[in-house]
Formats: sequence, structure tokens, C-alpha cells
Amino acid sequence: MEAMRKKAVDALPGSSWTPLEINPNLPPERADIVIVGGGVVGWSIAYWLKQKEMVRGGVRVLVVEKDPTYSQASTVLSAGGIRQQFSLPENIHLSLASADFMRNINDHLGVLNEDPIDLQFNHSGYLFLASEAVAHIMEENYSTQRYAGAKVSLLSPTQLKEKFPWLNTEGVVLASYGLENEGWFDPWTLLNAFKRKAISMGAIQCCGEVTVCTSFFPTSDDGMSACVEQVQMPNSLEYQPVECAIVVNAAGAFSGKLTEMLGIGFGPKQSIAGIPLPVEPRKRYVYVVHCPDGPGLDTPFLIDYSGVYVRREGLGGNYIAGASPEEAAEPDASNLEVDHSFFEENVWPHLAFRVPAFEKLKVTSAWAGFYDYNTFDQNAIIGTHPLINNMYFATGFSGHGLQHSPAVGRAVAELILDGSYKTLDLSGFGFNRILTQEPKLERNIV
Amino acid sequence: MLKILLPTIMLVPTIWAVPAKYLWSTTLSYSLIISLISLTWLKSSAESGWSFLSPYMATDPLSTPLLALTCWLLPLMILASQNHTAPEPISRQRTYITLLTSLQIFLIMAFSATEVIMFYIMFEATLIPTLVIITRWGNQTERLNAGTYFLFYTLAGSLPLLVALLLLQNNTGTLSLLTLQYTPSMQLSSFADKLWWAGCLLAFLVKMPLYGAHLWLPKAHVEAPIAGSMVLAAVLLKLGGYGMMRMMIMLEPLTKELSYPFIIFALWGVIMTGSICLRQTDLKSLIAYSSVSHMGLVAAGILIQTSWGFTGALILMIAHGLTSSALFCLANTNYERTHSRTMILARGLQMVLPLMTAWWFIASLANLALPPLPNLMGELMIITSLFHWSWWTIALTGGGTLITAGYSLYMFLMTQRGPLPAHIISLDPTHSREHLLMALHLLPLILLISKPELIWGWTA
Repeated sequence: MEAMRKKAVDALPGSSWTPLEINPNLPPERADIVIVGGGVVGWSIAYWLKQKEMVRGGVRVLVVEKDPTYSQASTVLSAGGIRQQFSLPENIHLSLASADFMRNINDHLGVLNEDPIDLQFNHSGYLFLASEAVAHIMEENYSTQRYAGAKVSLLSPTQLKEKFPWLNTEGVVLASYGLENEGWFDPWTLLNAFKRKAISMGAIQCCGEVTVCTSFFPTSDDGMSACVEQVQMPNSLEYQPVECAIVVNAAGAFSGKLTEMLGIGFGPKQSIAGIPLPVEPRKRYVYVVHCPDGPGLDTPFLIDYSGVYVRREGLGGNYIAGASPEEAAEPDASNLEVDHSFFEENVWPHLAFRVPAFEKLKVTSAWAGFYDYNTFDQNAIIGTHPLINNMYFATGFSGHGLQHSPAVGRAVAELILDGSYKTLDLSGFGFNRILTQEPKLERNIV
Repeated sequence: MLKILLPTIMLVPTIWAVPAKYLWSTTLSYSLIISLISLTWLKSSAESGWSFLSPYMATDPLSTPLLALTCWLLPLMILASQNHTAPEPISRQRTYITLLTSLQIFLIMAFSATEVIMFYIMFEATLIPTLVIITRWGNQTERLNAGTYFLFYTLAGSLPLLVALLLLQNNTGTLSLLTLQYTPSMQLSSFADKLWWAGCLLAFLVKMPLYGAHLWLPKAHVEAPIAGSMVLAAVLLKLGGYGMMRMMIMLEPLTKELSYPFIIFALWGVIMTGSICLRQTDLKSLIAYSSVSHMGLVAAGILIQTSWGFTGALILMIAHGLTSSALFCLANTNYERTHSRTMILARGLQMVLPLMTAWWFIASLANLALPPLPNLMGELMIITSLFHWSWWTIALTGGGTLITAGYSLYMFLMTQRGPLPAHIISLDPTHSREHLLMALHLLPLILLISKPELIWGWTA
């Protein structure tokens, strides 16, 4: 009786029953926009595309993510910080817009009848320390940041000592402290919030890897149109070609592989086709340490001029610390194994010098994650490529992708649906700067 | 009659015998010659009544415009299909053109049939090539669903028609259209006769489609390849209208009361499907719903059984055939370049393809029934005869005209004007083939302004 009723319901118009079995794991045969990469940037773009379509079901958005456990994704392995203390006004505006988004996250990403989102945003701010050599850069950055609207303050060593008595101010000439919209949050929550909201608005997700991506018109002189030829199912020989109008490259650390499939980087040396996408994975270590006599609840995200950083994690006397390695001593990026001697040699000495309480600490845990490192100028690459008409890049963030993800998602959605940037002008981050060899460098890079 | 039918039948072996290099040009020129010869039908010797008589086939002023439209459409379909079938193996291309040609053969025989059973058989026979075209050459997984809807809606509607025709044959002894107008009207008093009346018309109402039974049409149109969409919109829908016009004569006294709900459905459908068009994101879906809207007006015009209604219905059928097919071709040029049917992803095309914008403009204006195009003449005649039938219909038809103008302009402005997205900046320029296709669609429409007598039907 129940089976008959179910059959009758299936036969009515509106049900998705078809006489031929369709494998539900496979992505649809065609989608309007395929976002390659299901990290926070990819899902942010999917959310904003669905937000900006004018009619429900306006664009069919497919997000392809090869690893649903996110074991190697940069998003969830990130330290989760957000700051406005950049030297480029675009970066400052991106962070401000993202902070504003996250402050009102339940208005944006709340789903009816679902739990509200708690990002666990710790508003403790960032504290950058400057030595004699770089103090003038910090002052110039300070005026840029204030002009852009960031709430930052400069502190002298005496003010520092007053505010943070646990800090050793030897060698510090100037410090820059973020008063609002700076701190850290839980990246996994943000990713899931974007994902849940985008799916509730009709975005489609698929677990698979894009293995072949070729051009529609291989013999045309007007440039290529990327088309996802094959999405390979995990642990299987099954694949599905997806016909699409637009491909968004939000694959993070692995973005270079996608553009290589289209032949970018394999052309003659002096031609546009010969210049590859300069994004490669770079391994960064994060160490969790326990120090019972450590700084306390008002500890900001401290960044020393030696490159070492530390922030509070939770309320039990735990801290997260790490450092950027030297250019020459970059660790091997083929795996995510942690090198504990890096902590002993490169992080702990500077940490203990700066914060004497950290002389007595215990490393309880550690992990490694990839930066989607832009080898050219360590800043985002957003926009189209001159040779591929319909591929949009949103990659190369080199460590500040998570904090910019809401604003970048909105910018890319505006680029796709409105044709140009409407709220923030990110044309400075276009691919053309790589072709004209004009790097857009940050003056303090972490 | 045979001088058109036999060459069309012989096109099939030609398709298979011609060398691969010349396949498309040969079939195109062959079908173009057939269509030019078919224009001789338009010069009928009698003002009303049958010409080119043979025992099984004949033409009269009602079927002649539809026959000319059918024959005109085959070269256009071949022209439109050339690009998207190019990557396929040659035998599959030949199969495709064979399907289009066989559809053509069935349609010629259907429109020129003198015996209603022959018309019925050809009516059903057209389903098969169309089904194969939709399910084999469509682009998406949903095409299977679309084919199922298309097949079963039409079959379910036409089975009662078969029973009704057999009953009629039993009753009157003949089903020849030539003598149908001279048979004395039947005594249609019992309830079973009312069912018989419904059985006669249901198949055609589903085919038109009438608003309540229209669900197959957006699916079939959207999932079909371009030639499938063209022939569906331009000719197959008109089979329904033509069948209704033929059957009306013998359904005589019952129609005055029984047609009431169907006229209301049709007019309400004009408003509803027009409103649905304003909310569509998929370009082909928008054009498909606009077809339902126009055909609703045609259905209402036929059901009120006045001479102006019939004339208006015929003019609107021909004009809509050309316009709708033109719009589908334009949507296809978009699709071939951006590989997406979503309107929001292909905007501001006037900047990139300005000559195509001219065709979009003319086709959109034709769709919204701009004078002096025949679209307006047909709509006007139907609206006036409906007004005469009942004053209240003017609210529905007037609102329908307004909404039609709304969505036609919406479609034009959405695709042509607006900001140009970054991914459309470099597109293939418009090929001459596409310009030729659009010209061949819209030129007859514009020429019909000067000689509408060709598509008036019986009312001279």
C-alpha cells in the first residue's frame, strides 16, 4: 500500500523520478558556473552568486571539491586571524568589509529553522611590533590604514609595557595595535555557514576532482573557453563531463594544476601562454603550546618583527604559535608532515625572548597547512585571464584568504553577474600585473 | 502535390548517397528548391475550395500557408543544425537530417490530407522523429523526462480522437474532408455525444497547447536541439490548430456551450504563461512559454467559430511560426557561444555582436505584435472577434497584450543591453550562416505585410 502510494507520488509532475537510473553522486551534465575548489573562498563565491541572482534558480552553480574531509584544505588548517593592518588599501578594505559581514553573519547566512551561527570571534586585535629598521614603514602603513577607515593605534614601548606587562619591549621601537574588527575566529564554522546557506539557496555540490579541463574551441584564434571535461569521482574510474559557461578557479594551493590543464605555462617563453599561474602550495607549521603562566585573556595576535607570531587559543592557557620560514629554507610541500625541530630552532627562541613567560611551555600539538602562495607578489589574483575567456581566478591569497573570503566572494560574484566591481574595486589584483611584471607587494608580509 | 512530396522523399537517399564534404550544402540547396516550388501552392485556382486535387491529398486556402511554412522550415532547420552537429560522426549527421526530412514528409502529408484518418495517422507519425530528436540530440539528462512528457501527453490526448473518428466513420460512412462540409449536421443530443465532441478536440488542444495541458511544451522545447525546437514551435503546434479548424465544421451545435471552459482556459493561459515569462531565467524556457501564450490566443480564436476568428488564428499561426522559430535560432546563437541558456550570464550583447542585436530587435518586436507585422493583424482579428463574442474577454486579451509586450522587451533588454560581463568580451563574431538564417526567417514575415491575402484562409 505504501509502495503504491509512493509510486503514485513519484509519477505526478514535480517529482524527479525518471525511467532511467541516474547516479546521484555524479554532478549534473551541465551547470552555468563551476567553482573548482570547495574551500571558504569557493563557497563564499557560491553564496554570493546565489545571493545576487535576481530570480530563484537564475544561475546553476556547481561547487566541485575533491576532499570532503578537508584534510589538506588551507581553510580549516588556518590560524583563523583577521586584521586590517595591511599596507595596500585594497587589502584593508577587504578585511573591513569581511569583518562587517562576519559581525552580522546571522543576517547574511542564517537559515530558517537551523541553529544560529557562532563564529567564536575573539576581538583581541593584532599587535605588530616594529624594530628600528622598519618603524618608518609601520608609521606609513598606519596612516594608510587610518585613511582607509581601520581602527588602529600606534603604541610606544612605554605604552606597550603599560598595556601588556608580560611583554619584553627590548628592541621594539613602535607597535601597531588593532582596536576593532581584528582578532581570530573559527574557520570551520565560517566554511560550513557559507556552505549551508549556499546549498539552501540552490547551489549544487559535488565531491570529485577535476582531472581534465580543456577548451571549447581549440582551433580558434580568439582565445580559449574553458570547459570542464571530466570530474573524476573519488576512488573510482567513473567520471562525468560537465558543460559549463564559466569556471571559477578557487582551488587554493592547487590552483596551478587547473590552469596547467588548459596549457597556460606551456607556451613559448616570451608569450602570454608561457606565463604560468604563479600559485604554488607552501607548507606552514602551526604549533599548539600550553603555558600555565602565560599572558592571559587580553593577549592579542602578537606578531614580532622577527616573523614569529603567537595568539591565545581557548581559555585554558593554550596558545598557537608559528613563524614564516626563510625563502631559502622552505619546507617540502609534498606532504603535511610537521617538523618539530622548526619550533625548537626558529620559533621558541624568539618567542621566549619576546614573552619571557613562554620560556616554560610545552608543545601539546602541531599541524601543517598549505598557503596558496603567490610566488610573484604574495597577494590575491582575482579576475580573468587574457587568454581564457571564461575562467575567473580567486586564488593566490598567500595566507590571508580566509579573512578576505566574504568580500572576495562578493567581488567575484559582481564581476561575473554585473560585469564589473561594484562595491570594492579589486582591479589592482588582476592577472595583468603578472604579465606586465608589476608586483603589488605588501610592505609587511606575514 | 506529388511534385513536392516525391522530391522530399527522395531527399532521404540523397542524404545517404552524397559525399560527406557536400552533405550540408547539398541538403540545404535541395530543400530550399523544394520550398521555393512549394510556394506555387499559394496561387490557388479557386478562392475557396480545394486545389491540386488527388484522391488522398489536396490543398485549400487553410492548409496552403501551413504547407508553405513547413516546406520553408526544412532548409532553415538544416542551416541551424550545421554547427552543433559538426563534431559528430558523419553517419550520425546523416541520421539527423534524415529525421528532419522524415518529419517533413509526415507534415506535408498531414497538412494536405483529405481523409481525416490519414491526417490522424500523420499527426501521430510526427511524434516519432521528434521524440528521437529530443531524446538523442538534446543536451541534458532532463531530456528523457521531456521526451516522456511530450510523448504521453500527446498520445493520451489523441487516443480519444481515434475512437471519435472511428465513431464518425461508422455514423457518416466517410471521413473525407472534401465532402465533410456538405454532410447534414448530426443529431448530437446525448451525453455520449458530448464526450465524442471532447474526444474530437482534446488531442488538438493538448497539441496547441491549451493552458491546462501545456506542461510538456516548456520541457520539450528547452531540452530539444535547435532544429527540434524550431520544428516544434513553428509547425507541430500548428498541427493542433489546423486539426481543430478542420473538425469544427462537424461539431456544430454542441460547440456553442461546450467550448466555454476551453475558451476560458485559453485566455487565462495567455495571462498566466505571459506572467511566467517575466520570471524566467532560462532563455529557451521564456520563448517556450511565450509560444503557449500565443497559441492560447489562437485556440480561443478557433473555438468561437467566427470567420474573423478563423482568419486571425491562421494569420497568427503563420506569423508566430516564423517569429518563434527565429527567436529559438537567436537563443541558439547565444547558447553556442556561451554554453549557457541563462539570461543573466549573457548580457550586454549589443556591445559585442551589434548586427545580431538588429535581428534580436526585429524578432522581439514581431513577438510583441508590432504593427504592421502579421502578428498584430492576427492578434487584432482574434481580439475583436472575442470582444464581439463577449465583452469581458477584452480584460484578459488586453492584459495579455500588455504582458506580451512586457516580456518581449524584458527578453531583448536582458540579453542585449546592460553591463557586459568579463567572460563575454571575446566571442566568435556572427557567422554569415547565422545572418542568412535570421534573414530567411524574418524576410517572409516582413514581406507578408504587403500581401496578407496569402495567409487569410477562406475569407477572401
